Amino acid sequence: MKDLATANFDKMTAAEFEEYLPELFAMGGGKISENPRFAVFFKANPYCAALVSDLETIAEQARSLFEPVGDEAGLEPSDELWPKIASKLKEPPEE
Amino acid sequence: MQTKPNPGFFKRNPPIAGEAEAIEQAKNGDAEAFSKLYALHKRRVYTLCLRMLGNVSEAEDMTQEAFLHLFRKLGSFRGESAFSTWLHRLTVNLVLMHLRKKGLNLVSLEETINPSEDDAPKRDFGSRDPQLAGSVDRVTLERAVASLPPGYRMVFVLHDVEGFEHNEIASMLECSTGNSKSQLHKARLKLRELLRQPEKLAPVAGLQEVAR
Repeated sequence: MKDLATANFDKMTAAEFEEYLPELFAMGGGKISENPRFAVFFKANPYCAALVSDLETIAEQARSLFEPVGDEAGLEPSDELWPKIASKLKEPPEE
Repeated sequence: MQTKPNPGFFKRNPPIAGEAEAIEQAKNGDAEAFSKLYALHKRRVYTLCLRMLGNVSEAEDMTQEAFLHLFRKLGSFRGESAFSTWLHRLTVNLVLMHLRKKGLNLVSLEETINPSEDDAPKRDFGSRDPQLAGSVDRVTLERAVASLPPGYRMVFVLHDVEGFEHNEIASMLECSTGNSKSQLHKARLKLRELLRQPEKLAPVAGLQEVAR
């Protein structure tokens, strides 16, 4: 596992930075794109800045999928499901 | 005695009006109260099953299993976590058990959740691909998630959508936390790739067809 504490991001290549990304995202504590520790690196590597920004957008938007929205088709079980469950609830438990 | 809940558990799952009463009544065998719990949680449970399984029929079967299991286990719910979190964990465990019964080898899960080279995200550091437009609409993201290889999709749904921690996912999937972090990162990279070309994503007819 990459040691984030000793890593010098100012002198890193894009490929090296990528190796740290899973751990950086798992670390939490705010957006990587807004962390001053990476400011120099991102200035020198705009592609990496764009990548991080995109991955943050994806992760943020994913949270909105947690709660199904009313008009989205196909995100609700069929109306027949509850009667089936209710019927099974009346059956004696299996040994 | 009811354990005092940790407020942190309720960040994503705030208590729903009437839910606590319904839980207590359902614990005492009140069928009407249980039907209320079903009505409150059916969509989230079904959506979770559908995202994990990618198949409408199986998702309905597992939703049924989840609520039957809930009925039997409700008495053990002590309120240490949000009810939704508890129910979703129960559902995830049932789905994983179902997948294992279908042949997913628990021991070699770290290997089996790795997709083929074709499915893996491309390594394109230094290239000049366009950035995402700053926001992603949820329908397009839903389609992209459904297009992910199953292993990536599983970790992405559990972490980014459901909000489970890497150590919880590692425990559920019987893999290392490092593997969970790595799979999540690859899933997001793959999603980025898919979202850059949304016109290539299969249309969502339910979620089922695109997920196969």
